[in-house]
Amino acid sequence: MKLRLLTNTLDIDTVVATSMLTTTSGALPSTLFERLRSNPCKVQEIVGRVEAQHGSILEHNRFVWELEAQIDEVNEILLDTSFLTFTKLSKDQWLLSGNLRTIAEYYQQKDSLFTKALVDSIFEVTPTLHQFIRSLRR
Amino acid sequence: MKVKLISFLPLAAIQTIYSQLSWRQLLPHLSYTFAIEKISRACSHQLVRHRVASFSQQSQRYITIKKLRERVVTPPSIEEHNGEEFNDLISRASDVYQKLVEKGVPKEDARFVLPNAAETSLLMTMNGESLFHFFGLRCCNRAQWEIRSLADKMLDEARTLEPELFKHAGPYCYQMGYCPEGRFTCGSMRETIEKYSP
Repeated sequence: MKLRLLTNTLDIDTVVATSMLTTTSGALPSTLFERLRSNPCKVQEIVGRVEAQHGSILEHNRFVWELEAQIDEVNEILLDTSFLTFTKLSKDQWLLSGNLRTIAEYYQQKDSLFTKALVDSIFEVTPTLHQFIRSLRR
Repeated sequence: MKVKLISFLPLAAIQTIYSQLSWRQLLPHLSYTFAIEKISRACSHQLVRHRVASFSQQSQRYITIKKLRERVVTPPSIEEHNGEEFNDLISRASDVYQKLVEKGVPKEDARFVLPNAAETSLLMTMNGESLFHFFGLRCCNRAQWEIRSLADKMLDEARTLEPELFKHAGPYCYQMGYCPEGRFTCGSMRETIEKYSP
């Protein structure tokens, strides 16, 4: 099985931070987003406070991967989680997508080479949330 | 009401790699996050019925409503009929809410007196497939005025950033070429299709 991250939504950390503040702040979400976008340190400070029970704030994003896997391996993933989306490209090649919450919960739920590869693939995009998700399995 | 598309996954980011896949096949992999502001709670209740979506909404448990009178959505039909009773009720609800909070009642309980007209703001994320379905239902002339207005603003935002993809989006009569509303049809399919044509 081989996984390669192709693309993702932009400003993931800023959107997560905006989502966290939206629920508890009277400020408008677009104002929060613009303020945070110009203050990366603040974004990292807020995102560093993410807690496991705040699952929905991790849903405002999407990652798209190319997966090389046999049909049995794909079936196993589909039985494990219903929140990853697959499109068949060729016999053993798949387009796969999902959000950070799905990655985090699947990683928590199952110790496998695939869940490790999913989490490792996001390191360069969002090191802080990568670290948070790694910390969920203890 | 204000709408801004703050983050999305561009179709071209995938389609340039897999040109054999149609835009329709790629819709489930695309993602759109909107900042939706100053809609009524009545509208947000309709919004969250779209279950294949993610929401982060201002919480009435944590945010104190300071001036309810200035933070309500008034339907045009009520404004047309003077709206005196409506305004009286909002004032009364505002006073009762403030008094309860001042007495030490938690905001999560004081909010029970707040009306559906109270303004709210939220982040909403949908994948492309859900978003096309949302436009199909909510841009329709039969949709309630506030959510239809919201859907139109969201479609404008989406068409600005992804014109080639979202030229296909609009109410179901526009997307499919026929009206799925049956005997409830608005009867204005031709005008509606014209309205949504780029």
